[in-house]
Amino acid sequence: MTNGPAVLVDGLGKTYPGGVRAVDGISFAVERGEFFGFLGPNGAGKTTTIKILATLLPKSEGRVEVAGLDVIREPKAVRQAIGVALQEVGLDDLSKGRDFLELQGLLYGLSRAEARMRAGELLELVGLSSVADRKVGSYSGGMRRRIDLAGALMHNPGVLFLDEPTTGLDPQSRIAVWEHLEELNAQGVTIFLTTQHMDEADRLCRRLAIIDHGRLVAEGSPAALKAGVGGDIVHVAFDADDSAEDRVAAALAAVRALPGVRQADLAAGGLTATVSDGGAAAPAIMSAFQDAGLSIANLSITRPSLDDVFLQHTGRQIRDSDADGDAEDRMWSQWMGVNRR
Amino acid sequence: MLVLRESYFIYVRNLKTWLAQPWMIVAAVLSSAFMFLFFGEPLRGITALPGFPADDYQAFLAAMVIVMAVVFSGSDMAMVLLTDMMSGYVDKLLLSPVNRFSILLGTLLIGGTRAMAQVLAIILVATAIGVRFEGGVLGILAVIVGATLLGVAMGCVGLIVAMRTRSVQVTVNSWLLFMPLAFLTSAFMPRDLLTGWFQVAVGLNPIEYIMVAVRAVIIEGWVWDSILPGIWVLLATTVVLVGAATYEYRRATN
Repeated sequence: MTNGPAVLVDGLGKTYPGGVRAVDGISFAVERGEFFGFLGPNGAGKTTTIKILATLLPKSEGRVEVAGLDVIREPKAVRQAIGVALQEVGLDDLSKGRDFLELQGLLYGLSRAEARMRAGELLELVGLSSVADRKVGSYSGGMRRRIDLAGALMHNPGVLFLDEPTTGLDPQSRIAVWEHLEELNAQGVTIFLTTQHMDEADRLCRRLAIIDHGRLVAEGSPAALKAGVGGDIVHVAFDADDSAEDRVAAALAAVRALPGVRQADLAAGGLTATVSDGGAAAPAIMSAFQDAGLSIANLSITRPSLDDVFLQHTGRQIRDSDADGDAEDRMWSQWMGVNRR
Repeated sequence: MLVLRESYFIYVRNLKTWLAQPWMIVAAVLSSAFMFLFFGEPLRGITALPGFPADDYQAFLAAMVIVMAVVFSGSDMAMVLLTDMMSGYVDKLLLSPVNRFSILLGTLLIGGTRAMAQVLAIILVATAIGVRFEGGVLGILAVIVGATLLGVAMGCVGLIVAMRTRSVQVTVNSWLLFMPLAFLTSAFMPRDLLTGWFQVAVGLNPIEYIMVAVRAVIIEGWVWDSILPGIWVLLATTVVLVGAATYEYRRATN
Protein backbone atom coordinates (compact mmCIF):
# COMPACT_ATOMS: atom_id res chain seq x y z
CA MET A 1 0.00 0.00 0.00
CA THR A 2 1.15 3.50 -0.77
CA ASN A 3 0.98 6.57 1.46
CA GLY A 4 -2.12 8.59 2.21
CA PRO A 5 -5.35 7.81 3.98
CA ALA A 6 -7.21 4.54 3.31
CA VAL A 7 -10.02 6.44 1.63
CA LEU A 8 -10.00 9.99 0.37
CA VAL A 9 -13.15 11.42 -1.19
CA ASP A 10 -13.24 15.00 -2.37
CA GLY A 11 -16.32 16.55 -3.96
CA LEU A 12 -17.64 13.20 -5.19
CA GLY A 13 -20.80 13.37 -7.27
CA LYS A 14 -22.72 10.76 -9.22
CA THR A 15 -25.58 11.34 -11.62
CA TYR A 16 -27.01 8.23 -13.24
CA PRO A 17 -27.99 8.21 -16.89
CA GLY A 18 -31.57 9.46 -16.76
CA GLY A 19 -30.68 12.24 -14.36
CA VAL A 20 -30.98 10.67 -10.91
CA ARG A 21 -28.51 12.44 -8.63
CA ALA A 22 -27.46 9.67 -6.24
CA VAL A 23 -24.43 11.34 -4.66
CA ASP A 24 -24.28 15.10 -4.46
CA GLY A 25 -20.81 16.43 -3.74
CA ILE A 26 -19.53 14.60 -0.66
CA SER A 27 -16.07 14.79 0.92
CA PHE A 28 -14.55 12.72 3.69
CA ALA A 29 -11.44 10.75 4.59
CA VAL A 30 -10.90 7.44 6.36
CA GLU A 31 -7.57 6.95 8.09
CA ARG A 32 -5.71 3.65 7.98
CA GLY A 33 -6.83 1.22 10.63
CA GLU A 34 -10.09 3.05 11.21
CA PHE A 35 -13.50 1.43 11.54
CA PHE A 36 -15.61 3.87 9.58
CA GLY A 37 -19.38 3.77 9.20
CA PHE A 38 -21.47 5.22 6.42
CA LEU A 39 -24.95 5.54 7.82
CA GLY A 40 -28.13 6.38 6.00
CA PRO A 41 -31.55 5.19 4.89
CA ASN A 42 -32.20 3.16 1.74
CA GLY A 43 -31.61 5.20 -1.36
CA ALA A 44 -29.42 7.75 0.43
CA GLY A 45 -26.44 7.03 -1.83
CA LYS A 46 -24.51 4.54 0.32
CA THR A 47 -24.30 1.72 -2.20
CA THR A 48 -23.50 4.09 -5.06
CA THR A 49 -20.63 5.54 -3.03
CA ILE A 50 -19.22 2.14 -2.08
CA LYS A 51 -19.43 0.96 -5.71
CA ILE A 52 -17.48 4.02 -6.85
CA LEU A 53 -14.86 3.47 -4.14
CA ALA A 54 -14.57 -0.18 -5.19
CA THR A 55 -14.08 0.75 -8.91
CA LEU A 56 -17.33 -0.90 -9.98
CA LEU A 57 -19.05 2.30 -11.01
CA PRO A 58 -17.62 5.43 -12.65
CA LYS A 59 -18.04 8.71 -10.80
CA SER A 60 -19.48 11.82 -12.39
CA GLU A 61 -17.14 14.25 -10.69
CA GLY A 62 -14.74 14.69 -7.80
CA ARG A 63 -11.58 12.95 -6.65
CA VAL A 64 -11.49 9.47 -5.13
CA GLU A 65 -8.40 7.76 -3.79
CA VAL A 66 -8.39 4.37 -2.12
CA ALA A 67 -5.30 2.96 -0.41
CA GLY A 68 -3.48 6.02 -1.74
CA LEU A 69 -4.37 5.17 -5.36
CA ASP A 70 -6.62 7.03 -7.78
CA VAL A 71 -9.61 4.80 -8.60
CA ILE A 72 -9.80 5.99 -12.22
CA ARG A 73 -6.09 5.99 -13.06
CA GLU A 74 -5.12 2.80 -11.23
CA PRO A 75 -8.25 0.67 -10.87
CA LYS A 76 -6.33 -2.62 -10.97
CA ALA A 77 -4.03 -1.66 -8.12
CA VAL A 78 -7.02 -0.45 -6.11
CA ARG A 79 -8.84 -3.75 -6.67
CA GLN A 80 -5.80 -5.68 -5.52
CA ALA A 81 -5.54 -3.56 -2.36
CA ILE A 82 -9.15 -3.86 -1.22
CA GLY A 83 -11.66 -6.53 -0.28
CA VAL A 84 -15.33 -5.95 -1.09
CA ALA A 85 -18.56 -7.58 0.00
CA LEU A 86 -21.58 -5.98 -1.63
CA GLN A 87 -25.23 -6.14 -0.77
CA GLU A 88 -26.18 -8.11 -3.87
CA VAL A 89 -23.98 -10.82 -2.53
CA GLY A 90 -22.74 -12.24 -5.85
CA LEU A 91 -22.09 -15.74 -4.66
CA ASP A 92 -21.77 -18.67 -6.96
CA ASP A 93 -24.59 -20.94 -5.81
CA LEU A 94 -23.49 -23.99 -7.78
CA SER A 95 -19.96 -23.99 -6.46
CA LYS A 96 -18.79 -25.47 -3.17
CA GLY A 97 -17.87 -23.03 -0.43
CA ARG A 98 -14.23 -24.09 -0.53
CA ASP A 99 -14.01 -23.86 -4.34
CA PHE A 100 -15.58 -20.41 -4.26
CA LEU A 101 -12.91 -19.17 -1.85
CA GLU A 102 -10.02 -20.82 -3.70
CA LEU A 103 -11.11 -19.26 -6.99
CA GLN A 104 -11.33 -15.85 -5.30
CA GLY A 105 -7.75 -16.35 -4.12
CA LEU A 106 -6.52 -17.39 -7.58
CA LEU A 107 -8.17 -14.39 -9.20
CA TYR A 108 -6.28 -12.13 -6.79
CA GLY A 109 -3.00 -13.73 -7.77
CA LEU A 110 -2.48 -16.31 -5.04
CA SER A 111 -0.81 -19.59 -6.01
CA ARG A 112 -2.88 -22.77 -5.78
CA ALA A 113 -1.15 -23.85 -2.57
CA GLU A 114 -1.61 -20.40 -1.01
CA ALA A 115 -5.24 -20.28 -2.05
CA ARG A 116 -5.94 -23.72 -0.58
CA MET A 117 -4.26 -22.83 2.71
CA ARG A 118 -5.88 -19.44 3.04
CA ALA A 119 -9.34 -20.86 2.21
CA GLY A 120 -8.87 -23.41 4.99
CA GLU A 121 -7.90 -20.70 7.49
CA LEU A 122 -10.79 -18.45 6.60
CA LEU A 123 -13.36 -21.25 6.62
CA GLU A 124 -12.18 -21.90 10.15
CA LEU A 125 -12.33 -18.21 11.07
CA VAL A 126 -15.91 -17.73 9.87
CA GLY A 127 -17.02 -21.09 11.25
CA LEU A 128 -17.89 -22.75 7.95
CA SER A 129 -15.34 -25.59 7.88
CA SER A 130 -18.03 -28.22 8.42
CA VAL A 131 -19.98 -27.08 5.34
CA ALA A 132 -16.98 -26.21 3.15
CA ASP A 133 -17.78 -28.97 0.66
CA ARG A 134 -21.45 -28.18 0.36
CA LYS A 135 -22.76 -25.99 -2.43
CA VAL A 136 -23.09 -22.32 -1.52
CA GLY A 137 -26.70 -22.40 -2.76
CA SER A 138 -27.60 -24.58 0.23
CA TYR A 139 -26.26 -22.06 2.78
CA SER A 140 -28.49 -20.01 5.09
CA GLY A 141 -28.50 -16.21 4.93
CA GLY A 142 -25.97 -15.88 7.72
CA MET A 143 -23.66 -18.49 6.20
CA ARG A 144 -23.82 -16.69 2.84
CA ARG A 145 -22.73 -13.41 4.42
CA ARG A 146 -19.88 -15.16 6.18
CA ILE A 147 -18.59 -17.00 3.09
CA ASP A 148 -18.81 -13.71 1.18
CA LEU A 149 -16.83 -11.98 3.91
CA ALA A 150 -14.25 -14.79 3.78
CA GLY A 151 -14.03 -14.35 -0.01
CA ALA A 152 -13.31 -10.66 0.43
CA LEU A 153 -10.47 -11.53 2.84
CA MET A 154 -8.72 -14.17 0.71
CA HIS A 155 -5.92 -11.87 -0.47
CA ASN A 156 -5.37 -10.14 2.89
CA PRO A 157 -6.63 -6.73 1.81
CA GLY A 158 -5.66 -3.69 3.85
CA VAL A 159 -9.01 -2.02 3.30
CA LEU A 160 -12.35 -3.79 3.51
CA PHE A 161 -15.57 -2.38 2.02
CA LEU A 162 -18.79 -3.88 3.30
CA ASP A 163 -22.21 -2.86 2.08
CA GLU A 164 -24.80 -3.57 4.77
CA PRO A 165 -23.09 -6.76 5.92
CA THR A 166 -25.81 -7.75 8.38
CA THR A 167 -29.01 -6.72 6.61
CA GLY A 168 -31.43 -9.63 6.68
CA LEU A 169 -29.55 -11.63 9.29
CA ASP A 170 -30.99 -13.04 12.51
CA PRO A 171 -29.66 -11.47 15.74
CA GLN A 172 -27.27 -14.32 16.45
CA SER A 173 -25.67 -14.21 12.99
CA ARG A 174 -25.39 -10.43 13.19
CA ILE A 175 -23.40 -10.69 16.39
CA ALA A 176 -21.16 -13.35 14.83
CA VAL A 177 -20.43 -11.08 11.86
CA TRP A 178 -19.80 -8.12 14.20
CA GLU A 179 -17.28 -10.13 16.17
CA HIS A 180 -15.37 -11.13 13.01
CA LEU A 181 -15.25 -7.51 11.92
CA GLU A 182 -14.01 -6.28 15.29
CA GLU A 183 -11.30 -8.92 15.24
CA LEU A 184 -10.19 -7.93 11.74
CA ASN A 185 -10.09 -4.27 12.68
CA ALA A 186 -8.03 -5.13 15.74
CA GLN A 187 -5.55 -6.79 13.35
CA GLY A 188 -5.16 -3.49 11.52
CA VAL A 189 -7.61 -3.86 8.62
CA THR A 190 -9.34 -0.59 7.72
CA ILE A 191 -13.06 -1.19 7.52
CA PHE A 192 -15.52 0.95 5.60
CA LEU A 193 -19.03 -0.20 6.31
CA THR A 194 -22.42 1.04 5.21
CA THR A 195 -25.44 0.41 7.35
CA GLN A 196 -28.97 1.56 8.00
CA HIS A 197 -28.87 0.09 11.50
CA MET A 198 -28.07 2.57 14.25
CA ASP A 199 -27.14 -0.11 16.77
CA GLU A 200 -24.64 -1.58 14.33
CA ALA A 201 -23.01 1.78 13.66
CA ASP A 202 -22.98 2.57 17.38
CA ARG A 203 -21.35 -0.69 18.36
CA LEU A 204 -18.76 -1.05 15.60
CA CYS A 205 -17.71 2.29 14.20
CA ARG A 206 -15.23 4.63 15.74
CA ARG A 207 -16.25 7.31 13.31
CA LEU A 208 -19.40 7.84 11.27
CA ALA A 209 -20.66 9.86 8.39
CA ILE A 210 -24.40 10.23 8.02
CA ILE A 211 -25.64 10.47 4.43
CA ASP A 212 -29.10 11.52 3.34
CA HIS A 213 -30.29 12.29 -0.19
CA GLY A 214 -26.74 12.05 -1.47
CA ARG A 215 -25.28 14.59 0.95
CA LEU A 216 -23.31 14.21 4.17
CA VAL A 217 -25.30 15.70 7.00
CA ALA A 218 -23.03 14.89 9.94
CA GLU A 219 -19.66 13.33 10.69
CA GLY A 220 -17.87 12.33 13.88
CA SER A 221 -17.55 9.62 16.51
CA PRO A 222 -20.83 8.11 17.75
CA ALA A 223 -20.22 9.66 21.17
CA ALA A 224 -19.53 13.12 19.75
CA LEU A 225 -22.55 12.94 17.46
CA LYS A 226 -24.81 11.94 20.33
CA ALA A 227 -23.37 14.66 22.55
CA GLY A 228 -24.06 17.07 19.70
CA VAL A 229 -27.78 16.39 20.03
CA GLY A 230 -27.38 18.21 23.35
CA GLY A 231 -29.61 17.13 26.18
CA ASP A 232 -32.29 14.50 26.65
CA ILE A 233 -34.86 13.04 24.36
CA VAL A 234 -38.51 13.07 25.40
CA HIS A 235 -40.73 10.79 23.39
CA VAL A 236 -44.49 11.07 23.72
CA ALA A 237 -46.83 8.45 22.33
CA PHE A 238 -50.40 9.73 22.10
CA ASP A 239 -53.77 8.50 20.89
CA ALA A 240 -55.00 10.43 17.87
CA ASP A 241 -56.96 9.54 14.76
CA ASP A 242 -57.01 11.43 11.44
CA SER A 243 -59.55 13.94 12.71
CA ALA A 244 -57.10 15.07 15.38
CA GLU A 245 -54.68 16.59 12.88
CA ASP A 246 -55.33 20.16 14.05
CA ARG A 247 -54.99 19.26 17.71
CA VAL A 248 -51.71 17.43 17.01
CA ALA A 249 -50.39 20.48 15.18
CA ALA A 250 -51.42 22.66 18.12
CA ALA A 251 -49.65 20.38 20.59
CA LEU A 252 -46.51 20.35 18.42
CA ALA A 253 -46.49 24.14 18.23
CA ALA A 254 -47.01 24.43 21.99
CA VAL A 255 -44.16 22.01 22.72
CA ARG A 256 -41.83 23.86 20.36
CA ALA A 257 -42.61 27.10 22.20
CA LEU A 258 -41.69 25.67 25.62
CA PRO A 259 -38.48 26.91 27.27
CA GLY A 260 -35.66 24.33 27.12
CA VAL A 261 -37.04 22.58 24.02
CA ARG A 262 -34.46 22.69 21.23
CA GLN A 263 -36.27 20.68 18.64
CA ALA A 264 -39.55 18.80 18.33
CA ASP A 265 -40.77 16.62 15.47
CA LEU A 266 -43.56 14.17 14.77
CA ALA A 267 -42.31 10.71 13.94
CA ALA A 268 -43.19 7.07 14.39
CA GLY A 269 -46.62 7.52 15.97
CA GLY A 270 -45.54 10.11 18.44
CA LEU A 271 -43.64 13.25 19.16
CA THR A 272 -39.92 13.40 19.83
CA ALA A 273 -38.40 16.44 21.48
CA THR A 274 -34.82 17.31 22.27
CA VAL A 275 -34.69 19.18 25.58
CA SER A 276 -31.94 20.48 27.83
CA ASP A 277 -33.40 18.75 30.90
CA GLY A 278 -35.83 15.88 30.46
CA GLY A 279 -37.17 15.88 34.02
CA ALA A 280 -37.96 19.58 33.93
CA ALA A 281 -39.57 19.56 30.48
CA ALA A 282 -41.80 16.48 30.86
CA PRO A 283 -44.60 18.06 32.95
CA ALA A 284 -44.84 21.06 30.61
CA ILE A 285 -45.00 18.77 27.58
CA MET A 286 -47.75 16.73 29.25
CA SER A 287 -49.83 19.80 29.89
CA ALA A 288 -49.30 20.98 26.30
CA PHE A 289 -50.95 17.73 25.16
CA GLN A 290 -53.75 18.05 27.70
CA ASP A 291 -54.43 21.63 26.56
CA ALA A 292 -54.67 20.38 22.98
CA GLY A 293 -57.16 17.73 24.07
CA LEU A 294 -54.93 14.73 23.36
CA SER A 295 -54.43 11.87 25.79
CA ILE A 296 -50.89 10.59 26.30
CA ALA A 297 -50.38 6.83 26.06
CA ASN A 298 -46.76 6.81 27.08
CA LEU A 299 -43.96 9.25 27.83
CA SER A 300 -40.27 8.37 28.04
CA ILE A 301 -37.08 10.29 28.70
CA THR A 302 -33.83 8.90 27.27
CA ARG A 303 -30.28 9.88 26.60
CA PRO A 304 -29.78 10.54 22.87
CA SER A 305 -29.14 7.61 20.54
CA LEU A 306 -27.89 7.65 16.95
CA ASP A 307 -31.56 7.58 15.94
CA ASP A 308 -31.87 10.97 17.55
CA VAL A 309 -28.75 12.18 15.80
CA PHE A 310 -30.31 11.20 12.49
CA LEU A 311 -33.58 12.84 13.42
CA GLN A 312 -31.80 15.99 14.48
CA HIS A 313 -29.98 16.32 11.17
CA THR A 314 -32.72 15.24 8.77
CA GLY A 315 -35.97 15.89 10.64
CA ARG A 316 -36.95 12.26 9.99
CA GLN A 317 -36.35 8.92 11.59
CA ILE A 318 -34.21 6.56 9.57
CA ARG A 319 -36.86 3.86 9.31
CA ASP A 320 -39.44 6.36 8.02
CA SER A 321 -37.19 7.67 5.36
CA ASP A 322 -36.73 5.00 2.71
CA ALA A 323 -36.14 7.11 -0.33
CA ASP A 324 -36.82 4.32 -2.81
CA GLY A 325 -40.21 2.98 -1.83
CA ASP A 326 -41.63 0.71 0.79
CA ALA A 327 -40.30 -2.51 2.20
CA GLU A 328 -42.28 -4.61 -0.21
CA ASP A 329 -40.73 -2.88 -3.20
CA ARG A 330 -37.31 -3.51 -1.81
CA MET A 331 -38.08 -7.16 -1.29
CA TRP A 332 -39.23 -7.43 -4.89
CA SER A 333 -36.26 -5.67 -6.31
CA GLN A 334 -33.99 -8.05 -4.45
CA TRP A 335 -36.04 -11.03 -5.49
CA MET A 336 -35.91 -10.00 -9.12
CA GLY A 337 -32.18 -9.48 -8.88
CA VAL A 338 -32.42 -5.83 -9.80
CA ASN A 339 -29.46 -3.78 -8.64
CA ARG A 340 -30.29 -1.44 -5.79
CA ARG A 341 -28.16 1.62 -5.81
CA MET B 1 0.25 -15.18 -20.18
CA LEU B 2 -1.53 -13.73 -17.18
CA VAL B 3 -4.69 -13.41 -19.27
CA LEU B 4 -4.46 -17.12 -20.15
CA ARG B 5 -4.00 -18.09 -16.50
CA GLU B 6 -6.95 -15.96 -15.39
CA SER B 7 -9.15 -17.11 -18.29
CA TYR B 8 -8.36 -20.70 -17.41
CA PHE B 9 -9.55 -20.23 -13.79
CA ILE B 10 -12.75 -18.58 -14.94
CA TYR B 11 -13.24 -21.23 -17.61
CA VAL B 12 -12.87 -24.04 -15.06
CA ARG B 13 -15.42 -22.33 -12.83
CA ASN B 14 -17.86 -22.07 -15.76
CA LEU B 15 -17.22 -25.69 -16.67
CA LYS B 16 -17.98 -26.82 -13.12
CA THR B 17 -21.17 -24.74 -13.11
CA TRP B 18 -22.27 -26.43 -16.32
CA LEU B 19 -21.41 -29.93 -15.12
CA ALA B 20 -23.26 -29.24 -11.87
CA GLN B 21 -26.45 -29.05 -13.93
CA PRO B 22 -26.64 -32.48 -15.56
CA TRP B 23 -30.17 -31.96 -16.80
CA MET B 24 -28.94 -29.20 -19.08
CA ILE B 25 -26.71 -31.78 -20.72
CA VAL B 26 -29.28 -34.57 -20.84
CA ALA B 27 -31.86 -32.23 -22.34
CA ALA B 28 -29.42 -31.03 -25.00
CA VAL B 29 -28.62 -34.58 -26.08
CA LEU B 30 -32.26 -35.67 -25.99
CA SER B 31 -33.41 -32.74 -28.10
CA SER B 32 -30.92 -33.72 -30.79
CA ALA B 33 -32.01 -37.36 -30.69
CA PHE B 34 -35.62 -36.17 -31.02
CA MET B 35 -34.67 -34.28 -34.19
CA PHE B 36 -33.63 -37.53 -35.86
CA LEU B 37 -36.75 -39.25 -34.55
CA PHE B 38 -39.39 -36.62 -35.28
CA PHE B 39 -38.00 -35.13 -38.52
CA GLY B 40 -35.84 -37.92 -39.85
CA GLU B 41 -38.43 -40.69 -39.63
CA PRO B 42 -41.48 -39.02 -41.21
CA LEU B 43 -39.47 -37.25 -43.93
CA ARG B 44 -37.32 -40.17 -45.02
CA GLY B 45 -39.31 -40.52 -48.29
CA ILE B 46 -37.86 -37.18 -49.47
CA THR B 47 -34.77 -39.00 -50.70
CA ALA B 48 -36.89 -40.33 -53.58
CA LEU B 49 -37.20 -36.80 -55.03
CA PRO B 50 -35.29 -36.40 -58.27
CA GLY B 51 -32.01 -34.59 -57.61
CA PHE B 52 -31.91 -35.39 -53.88
CA PRO B 53 -28.25 -35.79 -53.02
CA ALA B 54 -28.41 -38.56 -50.36
CA ASP B 55 -29.87 -42.05 -50.06
CA ASP B 56 -30.17 -41.92 -46.29
CA TYR B 57 -32.28 -38.99 -45.06
CA GLN B 58 -30.90 -39.24 -41.53
CA ALA B 59 -27.41 -38.62 -42.97
CA PHE B 60 -28.75 -35.56 -44.81
CA LEU B 61 -30.48 -34.34 -41.65
CA ALA B 62 -27.41 -34.85 -39.44
CA ALA B 63 -25.85 -31.57 -40.63
CA MET B 64 -29.00 -29.71 -39.65
CA VAL B 65 -29.14 -31.36 -36.23
CA ILE B 66 -25.51 -30.47 -35.56
CA VAL B 67 -25.65 -26.88 -36.79
CA MET B 68 -29.00 -26.19 -35.18
CA ALA B 69 -27.82 -27.44 -31.79
CA VAL B 70 -24.78 -25.16 -31.94
CA VAL B 71 -26.76 -22.14 -33.15
CA PHE B 72 -29.25 -22.51 -30.30
CA SER B 73 -26.45 -22.91 -27.77
CA GLY B 74 -26.04 -19.14 -28.20
CA SER B 75 -29.37 -18.70 -26.48
CA ASP B 76 -28.21 -20.92 -23.60
CA MET B 77 -25.09 -18.81 -23.24
CA ALA B 78 -27.20 -15.67 -23.00
CA MET B 79 -29.04 -17.22 -20.06
CA VAL B 80 -25.79 -18.41 -18.46
CA LEU B 81 -24.38 -14.90 -18.50
CA LEU B 82 -27.62 -13.26 -17.41
CA THR B 83 -27.83 -15.62 -14.42
CA ASP B 84 -24.33 -14.58 -13.36
CA MET B 85 -25.18 -10.93 -13.88
CA MET B 86 -28.33 -11.16 -11.81
CA SER B 87 -26.74 -13.05 -8.95
CA GLY B 88 -24.04 -10.37 -8.80
CA TYR B 89 -21.31 -12.87 -9.67
CA VAL B 90 -20.20 -10.82 -12.68
CA ASP B 91 -19.75 -7.84 -10.32
CA LYS B 92 -17.72 -10.08 -8.05
CA LEU B 93 -15.39 -10.89 -10.97
CA LEU B 94 -15.22 -7.23 -11.97
CA LEU B 95 -14.23 -6.29 -8.42
CA SER B 96 -11.19 -8.54 -8.68
CA PRO B 97 -8.01 -7.34 -10.35
CA VAL B 98 -8.32 -9.78 -13.27
CA ASN B 99 -8.14 -8.45 -16.79
CA ARG B 100 -11.59 -7.73 -18.25
CA PHE B 101 -10.72 -9.74 -21.33
CA SER B 102 -9.99 -12.83 -19.19
CA ILE B 103 -13.56 -12.83 -17.94
CA LEU B 104 -14.90 -12.60 -21.49
CA LEU B 105 -12.53 -15.26 -22.78
CA GLY B 106 -13.36 -17.67 -19.94
CA THR B 107 -17.02 -17.24 -20.79
CA LEU B 108 -16.68 -17.59 -24.58
CA LEU B 109 -14.55 -20.70 -24.22
CA ILE B 110 -17.27 -22.41 -22.22
CA GLY B 111 -19.68 -21.63 -25.08
CA GLY B 112 -17.27 -23.43 -27.41
CA THR B 113 -16.90 -26.35 -25.00
CA ARG B 114 -20.62 -26.80 -24.62
CA ALA B 115 -21.07 -26.79 -28.40
CA MET B 116 -18.22 -29.25 -28.79
CA ALA B 117 -19.62 -31.69 -26.23
CA GLN B 118 -23.09 -31.50 -27.69
CA VAL B 119 -21.89 -32.13 -31.23
CA LEU B 120 -19.85 -35.07 -30.02
CA ALA B 121 -23.02 -36.50 -28.48
CA ILE B 122 -24.97 -35.92 -31.70
CA ILE B 123 -22.32 -37.68 -33.73
CA LEU B 124 -22.56 -40.67 -31.39
CA VAL B 125 -26.36 -40.71 -31.72
CA ALA B 126 -26.11 -40.37 -35.52
CA THR B 127 -23.60 -43.20 -35.72
CA ALA B 128 -25.83 -45.34 -33.52
CA ILE B 129 -28.76 -44.95 -35.94
CA GLY B 130 -26.57 -45.84 -38.88
CA VAL B 131 -25.35 -42.52 -40.31
CA ARG B 132 -21.98 -42.96 -42.04
CA PHE B 133 -19.48 -40.10 -42.16
CA GLU B 134 -17.97 -40.12 -45.65
CA GLY B 135 -15.29 -37.68 -44.50
CA GLY B 136 -14.02 -40.32 -42.06
CA VAL B 137 -12.45 -39.69 -38.69
CA LEU B 138 -10.75 -36.55 -39.98
CA GLY B 139 -14.13 -35.33 -41.16
CA ILE B 140 -15.62 -35.92 -37.74
CA LEU B 141 -12.75 -34.02 -36.13
CA ALA B 142 -13.19 -31.17 -38.58
CA VAL B 143 -16.91 -30.96 -37.80
CA ILE B 144 -16.19 -30.89 -34.07
CA VAL B 145 -13.60 -28.13 -34.45
CA GLY B 146 -15.96 -26.13 -36.65
CA ALA B 147 -18.81 -26.61 -34.18
CA THR B 148 -16.61 -25.34 -31.36
CA LEU B 149 -15.80 -22.18 -33.28
CA LEU B 150 -19.43 -21.67 -34.19
CA GLY B 151 -20.30 -22.22 -30.53
CA VAL B 152 -17.96 -19.38 -29.58
CA ALA B 153 -19.49 -17.15 -32.28
CA MET B 154 -23.08 -17.89 -31.26
CA GLY B 155 -22.10 -17.45 -27.61
CA CYS B 156 -21.04 -13.91 -28.57
CA VAL B 157 -24.53 -13.21 -29.88
CA GLY B 158 -25.97 -14.56 -26.63
CA LEU B 159 -23.62 -12.40 -24.54
CA ILE B 160 -24.57 -9.30 -26.51
CA VAL B 161 -28.27 -10.02 -25.98
CA ALA B 162 -27.80 -10.52 -22.22
CA MET B 163 -25.57 -7.47 -21.76
CA ARG B 164 -27.69 -5.16 -23.89
CA THR B 165 -31.10 -6.07 -22.51
CA ARG B 166 -30.30 -7.25 -18.95
CA SER B 167 -33.80 -8.69 -19.15
CA VAL B 168 -34.96 -12.19 -18.26
CA GLN B 169 -37.94 -12.14 -20.59
CA VAL B 170 -35.87 -11.12 -23.59
CA THR B 171 -33.00 -13.46 -22.82
CA VAL B 172 -35.20 -16.49 -22.13
CA ASN B 173 -36.80 -15.95 -25.53
CA SER B 174 -33.60 -15.20 -27.40
CA TRP B 175 -33.92 -18.56 -29.19
CA LEU B 176 -36.34 -16.65 -31.44
CA LEU B 177 -33.36 -14.72 -32.73
CA PHE B 178 -31.51 -17.94 -33.51
CA MET B 179 -34.47 -19.68 -35.11
CA PRO B 180 -34.25 -17.98 -38.53
CA LEU B 181 -30.49 -18.54 -38.53
CA ALA B 182 -31.02 -22.25 -38.01
CA PHE B 183 -34.08 -22.80 -40.21
CA LEU B 184 -33.64 -20.34 -43.09
CA THR B 185 -31.27 -22.96 -44.44
CA SER B 186 -31.27 -26.14 -46.46
CA ALA B 187 -32.04 -27.88 -43.17
CA PHE B 188 -34.55 -30.33 -44.63
CA MET B 189 -33.95 -30.08 -48.35
CA PRO B 190 -31.03 -29.02 -50.59
CA ARG B 191 -31.08 -25.41 -51.73
CA ASP B 192 -31.73 -26.16 -55.42
CA LEU B 193 -34.92 -28.00 -54.48
CA LEU B 194 -36.18 -24.95 -52.55
CA THR B 195 -38.19 -22.25 -54.33
CA GLY B 196 -39.10 -18.56 -54.35
CA TRP B 197 -38.21 -16.06 -51.62
CA PHE B 198 -37.21 -18.86 -49.27
CA GLN B 199 -34.46 -19.98 -51.61
CA VAL B 200 -33.22 -16.38 -51.85
CA ALA B 201 -33.29 -15.91 -48.08
CA VAL B 202 -31.37 -19.13 -47.55
CA GLY B 203 -28.66 -17.85 -49.89
CA LEU B 204 -28.28 -14.76 -47.68
CA ASN B 205 -27.96 -16.67 -44.40
CA PRO B 206 -24.30 -17.22 -43.44
CA ILE B 207 -25.23 -20.29 -41.40
CA GLU B 208 -26.40 -21.96 -44.64
CA TYR B 209 -22.84 -22.10 -45.96
CA ILE B 210 -21.63 -23.69 -42.75
CA MET B 211 -24.43 -26.25 -42.90
CA VAL B 212 -23.62 -27.09 -46.53
CA ALA B 213 -19.99 -27.68 -45.60
CA VAL B 214 -20.89 -29.93 -42.67
CA ARG B 215 -23.32 -31.87 -44.85
CA ALA B 216 -20.71 -32.31 -47.55
CA VAL B 217 -18.30 -33.81 -45.05
CA ILE B 218 -21.02 -36.22 -43.87
CA ILE B 219 -22.67 -37.38 -47.09
CA GLU B 220 -20.01 -36.79 -49.74
CA GLY B 221 -16.59 -36.58 -48.10
CA TRP B 222 -13.97 -33.93 -48.84
CA VAL B 223 -15.72 -31.99 -51.59
CA TRP B 224 -13.80 -28.72 -51.27
CA ASP B 225 -16.16 -26.71 -53.47
CA SER B 226 -18.86 -27.19 -50.84
CA ILE B 227 -16.60 -27.08 -47.81
CA LEU B 228 -14.35 -24.04 -48.41
CA PRO B 229 -17.10 -21.38 -48.51
CA GLY B 230 -18.34 -22.77 -45.19
CA ILE B 231 -14.89 -22.45 -43.64
CA TRP B 232 -14.47 -18.84 -44.80
CA VAL B 233 -17.93 -17.87 -43.60
CA LEU B 234 -17.33 -19.56 -40.26
CA LEU B 235 -14.00 -17.78 -39.72
CA ALA B 236 -15.40 -14.41 -40.78
CA THR B 237 -18.49 -14.82 -38.58
CA THR B 238 -16.38 -15.79 -35.60
CA VAL B 239 -13.99 -12.85 -36.02
CA VAL B 240 -16.81 -10.33 -36.46
CA LEU B 241 -18.88 -11.63 -33.54
CA VAL B 242 -15.96 -11.96 -31.12
CA GLY B 243 -15.05 -8.38 -32.04
CA ALA B 244 -18.60 -7.21 -31.45
CA ALA B 245 -18.84 -9.06 -28.13
CA THR B 246 -15.51 -7.60 -26.98
CA TYR B 247 -16.67 -4.11 -27.86
CA GLU B 248 -19.98 -4.64 -26.10
CA TYR B 249 -18.25 -6.10 -23.07
CA ARG B 250 -15.88 -3.14 -22.76
CA ARG B 251 -18.82 -0.79 -23.07
CA ALA B 252 -20.77 -2.63 -20.37
CA THR B 253 -17.92 -2.93 -17.88
CA ASN B 254 -16.31 0.50 -18.08
